[in-house]
Amino acid sequence: MASHGVGGHVLSDPEPSQHHHIQYAVPHTLYPPNTSFINQEGSAFDFGELEEAIGINNDETKQTLYAVRPRAATLEMFPSWSTKFHHTPRESSKSEEESADSESALNTLANRRDTTRHRLQQPHPPKTHPQMEMASASNNPTTGITQAQQLDAKPTPPKGRGARSNSDKLLDAKTLRRLAQNREAAKKSRLRKKAYVQQLESSRIRLAQLEQDLQRARSQGFLIGGGVAGGTITSGAALFDMEYSRWLDDDHRHVSELRSAMQSHLSDGDLRIIVDKYIAHYDEIFCLKEVAAVSDVFHLITGMWTTPAERCFLWMGGFRPSDLIKMLIAQLDTLTEQQAVGIYSLQQSLQQAEEALSQGLEQLQQSLISTIANCSDNDSLHHMAVALSKLNGLEGFVRQADNLRQQTLHQLRRILTVRQAARCFLAIGEYYDRLRALSSLWAVSSKREFHC
Amino acid sequence: MHYQAESYGNYYASTVRQSAAVDPLERVVRLASGSAVVIFSLSTCCMCHAVKRLFCGMGVNPTVYELDLDPRGKEIERALMRLLGGGSSVPVVFIGGKLVGAMDRVMASHINGTLVPLLKEAGALWL
Repeated sequence: MASHGVGGHVLSDPEPSQHHHIQYAVPHTLYPPNTSFINQEGSAFDFGELEEAIGINNDETKQTLYAVRPRAATLEMFPSWSTKFHHTPRESSKSEEESADSESALNTLANRRDTTRHRLQQPHPPKTHPQMEMASASNNPTTGITQAQQLDAKPTPPKGRGARSNSDKLLDAKTLRRLAQNREAAKKSRLRKKAYVQQLESSRIRLAQLEQDLQRARSQGFLIGGGVAGGTITSGAALFDMEYSRWLDDDHRHVSELRSAMQSHLSDGDLRIIVDKYIAHYDEIFCLKEVAAVSDVFHLITGMWTTPAERCFLWMGGFRPSDLIKMLIAQLDTLTEQQAVGIYSLQQSLQQAEEALSQGLEQLQQSLISTIANCSDNDSLHHMAVALSKLNGLEGFVRQADNLRQQTLHQLRRILTVRQAARCFLAIGEYYDRLRALSSLWAVSSKREFHC
Repeated sequence: MHYQAESYGNYYASTVRQSAAVDPLERVVRLASGSAVVIFSLSTCCMCHAVKRLFCGMGVNPTVYELDLDPRGKEIERALMRLLGGGSSVPVVFIGGKLVGAMDRVMASHINGTLVPLLKEAGALWL
């Protein structure tokens, strides 16, 4: 096989065709017989390129690669290697070493690449010259010679590394190898740092999402402790979960925006825009919940869309608005008298409204119980139909509860100044963020097991 | 009969002319003006129960008309549904003869602080 242009790269065609015989017959000891990629110059080439780009330092792959990469292509891509290839055969030819079989050539390459990490297949003194390595290899004339001859005969030094003395070339080779290793290491550490920073930034989001996924998995029938026994999640619920998780991502962004806005002391006008955006963001989830209530009210009212800790405090499919006010009172220390009166009456009306809705829901439950209990054999169908229609009343209560939540946020916005509102909404966002993180912590603490 | 619609603002989307003896809407209006707080309800409706509990919890004594116990309740229900523009017919709340609306409007007005002044104005709340 000739090493023609590979994978779109322009290769110099440096020598007469006889030296383009790239020996792909490798000993079976090293390679599986059906290593298909060996015979695909393009794929081997691309892999190496990819490898360097993502900084993988996999000894074995390197080992394999270097053995099978088309020589010309390799030299183009890895100038640091060229002289090794270049060098080795010269040395070997000088020392009349004709026993460079693929195995030893491999060793040479691998060793050269990464002496520290590579497990040498043959021991040799540290200051080993390539020719010595080859000399110590077992003789395998047929394949080895051809390969050595190829390597030997490679005349064109890439990138102007012309004819030099042996020692210079050796130094260069080491330097080049070091440079290559440094490049790799630098690339790797850059990538690592980037990944770590990204991890830090998104760790909370991922925790929250993990919890969401767990819940989804649970509600899909892999349940602990009752609930949707063997049932699957409804499409409405699945859709809402998806939209809710996206809303959570948005929430993180809004909260960060609020936080940085508070810290950077924006003007009231700019702050107002951000605050109003946050309210619109909440309006969005209430809208989504309204749709979800129609398709799957149980999903909302049982809190399967939330984290366990949130579910603990669930009231009618969401947070209890009066609790929110209680939590916020601590944040509102600079209230005018009018504002204080407003907050107090808001809290009072909320408590009355919540009480009224709770009593209404209680009546629904009692009515449902009596309907189901009074299901007689001859009239069961009718009773079940009545029960079903009563069940549909649940949707109304969840909607009214969400309505209360929405009105609470809007009223807060009306009572407070822009700055106070910003502080409040930031507190709300951070509070629920922490509550969700608490759920995730609980999930992973004490080696809690979740059965699927 | 044509209605004087001033006190009802723009809640009346359309005025229904009927040949029946008493227009259900007219009846609604008459009943609504009869007391400070009027609730049109169904005895089986749990949301109606909630709105009743809300007013009782505030110390208000509303006048409740259970439409399922009224011989012509169905007509009134239909009229109320038209009034509110679809959805459910009950509960519907009138304060001081003026329409407040269904449950969500009542809740919203309570939260934004307009319900209590309305009640006071109608004489349903003291203090």
